[in-house]
Amino acid sequence: MALGSEKPRLRVITRGEFAVPQIRDQVQKDLGFAIEFLVLDSTQGLQQVVTQPESFDIYHQWHTSDLIWTARCIQGIDLNRLEAGPRIKAAALSRSGVGRAIHTIFDRLFVQEDGRLGEALTDTVAVLPALHGVDAFVWRPELAPALNPGEAESWGWLLDPRWAGHVGLIADPVLGTIEAALAAEVQLGKPFGDIGNLTIDEVDTIADFLIHKKKIGHFKGFWNSQEEAMRLMQRGSVTIQSLFSPAVSQLRATGMNLRVASPLEGCRGWHSDMCISAATEGDALDAAYAYLDWYHNGWAGACLSRQGYYFIFPEVVRPHLTPEEWDYWYEGQPAARPLPGPDGTVTIPEGHRREGGSYRERMSSVRVWNTFMDEHTHVNRRWREFLSA
Amino acid sequence: MTVAEAYYEVVRRALESNIRDGSLPGGTRLYVAALADRLGVSRSPVKRALDMLEADGLIRRDGAQGWLVGTEPANDSRPNLHLFQLDLPDSGSATLIKPGWERILQTVADEVTRCIPFGIWKISEAELCTHFSVSRTVTREVLTRMHERGLIAKNRASHWIAGPLSAQMLNEVHDLRRLMEPLALKRAAARLERAGLIEMRARIEAAIAQGGTPTPDELDAIEDDLHIDCVAPQPNQRLADALPELRLSMVVNRQFARHVARHQETALLSEHRLVLDHLIAGDADGAAAALAFHLDADHERTRERLKVLSIFGGPDDDVPPYLSQVV
Repeated sequence: MALGSEKPRLRVITRGEFAVPQIRDQVQKDLGFAIEFLVLDSTQGLQQVVTQPESFDIYHQWHTSDLIWTARCIQGIDLNRLEAGPRIKAAALSRSGVGRAIHTIFDRLFVQEDGRLGEALTDTVAVLPALHGVDAFVWRPELAPALNPGEAESWGWLLDPRWAGHVGLIADPVLGTIEAALAAEVQLGKPFGDIGNLTIDEVDTIADFLIHKKKIGHFKGFWNSQEEAMRLMQRGSVTIQSLFSPAVSQLRATGMNLRVASPLEGCRGWHSDMCISAATEGDALDAAYAYLDWYHNGWAGACLSRQGYYFIFPEVVRPHLTPEEWDYWYEGQPAARPLPGPDGTVTIPEGHRREGGSYRERMSSVRVWNTFMDEHTHVNRRWREFLSA
Repeated sequence: MTVAEAYYEVVRRALESNIRDGSLPGGTRLYVAALADRLGVSRSPVKRALDMLEADGLIRRDGAQGWLVGTEPANDSRPNLHLFQLDLPDSGSATLIKPGWERILQTVADEVTRCIPFGIWKISEAELCTHFSVSRTVTREVLTRMHERGLIAKNRASHWIAGPLSAQMLNEVHDLRRLMEPLALKRAAARLERAGLIEMRARIEAAIAQGGTPTPDELDAIEDDLHIDCVAPQPNQRLADALPELRLSMVVNRQFARHVARHQETALLSEHRLVLDHLIAGDADGAAAALAFHLDADHERTRERLKVLSIFGGPDDDVPPYLSQVV
């Protein structure tokens, strides 16, 4: 059967990092039907999800679940139809997961009787949790300015005059504002109330500071994709910036000496979840549930663990990893041998130890989660002003 | 929404049909001022309409004595046009058409509403006049009424400004509104007509029966029923002046309904129904309490909905020429 010629039974909107080629091939082989993957990692993608639920079946998203549930462009997921259902409920009940990660994920997961989301257990969830992780900035030790003896890594470095002219920044307003806030808090010496939900005044303070910094040449570049981020560092001009873990692995594979920071102030956490379109029904709905079951069987989680992501249920992933992989990615042990990324090429040299430690230690460092803030319109407007300043 | 038809065009069409069917018989003398008075419109569109009818050969100019219908000689030197039974589009009304502001108010309100989640907009009065071919008087009336609805405000430089909507602004107006609107409703309760209330409740029942997904226009009507019409009879003028600009959540709900494919309004509808039930039963205190509950619940929804709107970079359609984005 030529999968390519068959009309797809399922349309999946996802980010590139969540549907690497190995996963796309394996899921279609295992499920036996064609799946169309649409990589839409922009706000336009989110607009399509909100306005045209009939244009997709599965949406694998991050930090938009409350927003898309408000818009009712997704339907509740029946835990009784999922193999992972009992596991989700058990984890939500015991809150036994890792640090603050699991807690936040379950806070607004279950569809309550009044249609709102809450933590009280029901048979229906708005989204199915999939992956999570922490991001921080990276820096190149041999190109760093002189640091004070014993100086701890700090988000403040991103806006520190000592790094002027060598700083890269993510161009996305949601993630960029959070990182800028973490940095500005240090540099301006005054704490913000809630970094994950800044007020208009706080956003203005940060934006004004960023614009000033931009005018005096503090930033070397801005990136929209991992590829752009990697190029900025490969050219050698950017020596400090935030970076997603797949890009860290890929740059390391080229031999670049990179330090992933474990900042004093904590990390920016993220989690991804899968949703089913409100318009999906019939065969496509069956296919959607099959896809969710497949994604939760451990294979995909193991595949993406090799680029530094954590799967919501590590014990499901473990049988699909070698003991050396498990020890490196989840236990924080030095790599007992060279370890491959998702595509099989070696990205981790023997003896390397992941910064930040084990799964538990790293997820416990979450200071703030990726999120659309209440004042997102204002955040967006000031961020655009900053980018074009 | 289509742009309102030019004023003079409405006048021209009405006159043409009344001439053709003989309601304005041949030989009738038409003066601009008398016609404007008869039709309840201003003079300039009448003048323009008469020029067009003359070009079409339906009327002819009679020196300084205005125009004459058809080719017949004048049958009256100064006819009282109010004695003519004219067939006018807005039947039941003594005048030709709705006042100018009423024809374009909804269009302007819709166009402004479409823009404000995306930033701050300045409204040009001059462009508004040109765009709709209306007078300054009409424009000012439109802007005043939009101000009453809480859609626009004047900034320090005395420009009309619309937007932006922020969560902080929603919080601030909600604090005030939940104190004032239930009070206004309590004062108004005794003055409300029972039949009208029952009609309002029927509209809600119908929307709930259809699955709780009213069209944007149906939702507008339901919102206006409770938040404007039920409150209106209260006697405190200062309260009446303060309320309109506190109704920002109505703007968000309306915009959400227009942007988002599937919206569910069952909760809002049930809350409205509860208020009306209390009013119909004659329980003013209960109605006020139910309204406060509704305003709190609606505030939470509105904040969530504003966040959804925040992902849209700008209005779907072209921005009308009288709006310019400030930030």
